[in-house]
Amino acid sequence: MNTPVSARKPYQSKLSRSWWLKHNYYRLYMLREATVLPLLFFIGCLLYGLYCLTQDAAHWQSFQTFMQQGWVIALNLLAFAASLFHAKTFFALFPRVMPLAPAWLMISGQWLATLLVAAGVLLLFGGWL
Amino acid sequence: MSSPKRSDEPVWWSLFSAGGVCFAVFLPGLILALGILWPLGLLNSSVLQYAQLLSLLQSGYGLTGLAFTGAVICLPLFHAAHRIHHGLHDLKCGYSSATKLLCYGTAGLLSVLALYFTLSLLLKY
Amino acid sequence: MTEYQLLIQRYDPEHDNEPRLQRFTVPGDHTTSMLDALLYVQQKLDVTLGLRWSCRMAICGSCGVMVNGIPKLGCKTFLRDYHSEIVIEPLAHFAVEKDLIVDMTQFLAHLSAIKPYLINDYSGTAMHKQTPAQLAKYQQFSNCINCGLCYSACPQFGLNPEFLGPAAITLAQRYNLDSRDNGKAARMPQLNGKNGAWGCTFVGFCSDVCPKQLDPAAAVNQAKVESAKDFIISMFKP
Repeated sequence: MNTPVSARKPYQSKLSRSWWLKHNYYRLYMLREATVLPLLFFIGCLLYGLYCLTQDAAHWQSFQTFMQQGWVIALNLLAFAASLFHAKTFFALFPRVMPLAPAWLMISGQWLATLLVAAGVLLLFGGWL
Repeated sequence: MSSPKRSDEPVWWSLFSAGGVCFAVFLPGLILALGILWPLGLLNSSVLQYAQLLSLLQSGYGLTGLAFTGAVICLPLFHAAHRIHHGLHDLKCGYSSATKLLCYGTAGLLSVLALYFTLSLLLKY
Repeated sequence: MTEYQLLIQRYDPEHDNEPRLQRFTVPGDHTTSMLDALLYVQQKLDVTLGLRWSCRMAICGSCGVMVNGIPKLGCKTFLRDYHSEIVIEPLAHFAVEKDLIVDMTQFLAHLSAIKPYLINDYSGTAMHKQTPAQLAKYQQFSNCINCGLCYSACPQFGLNPEFLGPAAITLAQRYNLDSRDNGKAARMPQLNGKNGAWGCTFVGFCSDVCPKQLDPAAAVNQAKVESAKDFIISMFKP
């Protein structure tokens, strides 16, 4: 600057680590990102189950016993809720990233897919297929 | 202005997106069945007994098994790795090539393990 | 007339080391905007209050401030919608020059980095025709008034000021989607970098606060798709 003395002294604030606690929108964003934590727990269960399958019937039985523990069911309930919340947010974002069809159609189409898969899985494991 | 270096994010973002679709479409039903109803004894069937599951695998579900592992384990793992990697940045808890290697590396290793289990199951019979 | 309590962030670079809040009581009715209230303070209570404004009709984009922590245009926000104290601060993430005035240099640099103008080898005086369908492809993204609210809503810009940010990337999309433009190849390198489209994690608050409903978050994430395509194409090029 050519002025003899500049009175400029810009004040730059720094974003604190807890920025996401300050607004509900950011809290929901963090919740969305955190849905992967219970997901990881369930994937861990799946890996354990897969391992037991490669072994023998006794291992598979111990996997079932593991899954029947209260805290495991509680965490998987959390994972189920997380998967639904993730689905809600992910389905809403998809038509905005790739506007291939009217948003309502894409969103309901995706929910239909989730429902059909759930019905299929329940029919298969329920022994009706 | 000089051009910035091309980011390799397209690779991770594509895996993240594919995993996100799997997480939203396949996982709710699977968690409900395997994580909640089965342990509670509400899925009153023999399909989830050891011998029945193996015969299920033998009766043509073989290649589907690999796709199943990819869709419910591998891709969701990369989805999770991506969100954790960026979450570390959001929380100012370190965001570097080291955390990147740790996140995607773990997802890759666990994916290989899952595919190994699946393959060894398929080759066992 | 109702009385409203305003807590306005003050910062005088010649005397202060950090900002502080100052209380003012202003009268208002159902037509009083936040900008009206700030101008009342400046004209009747404290002539030293610094703020930017111009058109008073949400088109110049200069009166952006944080109202109770949310980026708003002062002229488009009304006292009637607030019941307790109203905290007014300068736009978040930008450096404060004085009171409610922020330094927009970085924002403007990001805007110009993506070459926000038609690039083509078209020369001549004949009109360059465009069909309604071609116009519709980019029209939504062309309504930006450069107010900067989306940057104050964006934690990724707050965490990393090098991130090009919502408005700049939306503007890049606006020109990339224009049938009269051939400059996409010149803009992609900026979008392809880690501070381009890939600096975004789709928080989405930018679209919420945009006074022109551009949906910048959608534009940024469509730019990710474009960048991913560009990535694949680049692998097949020598």
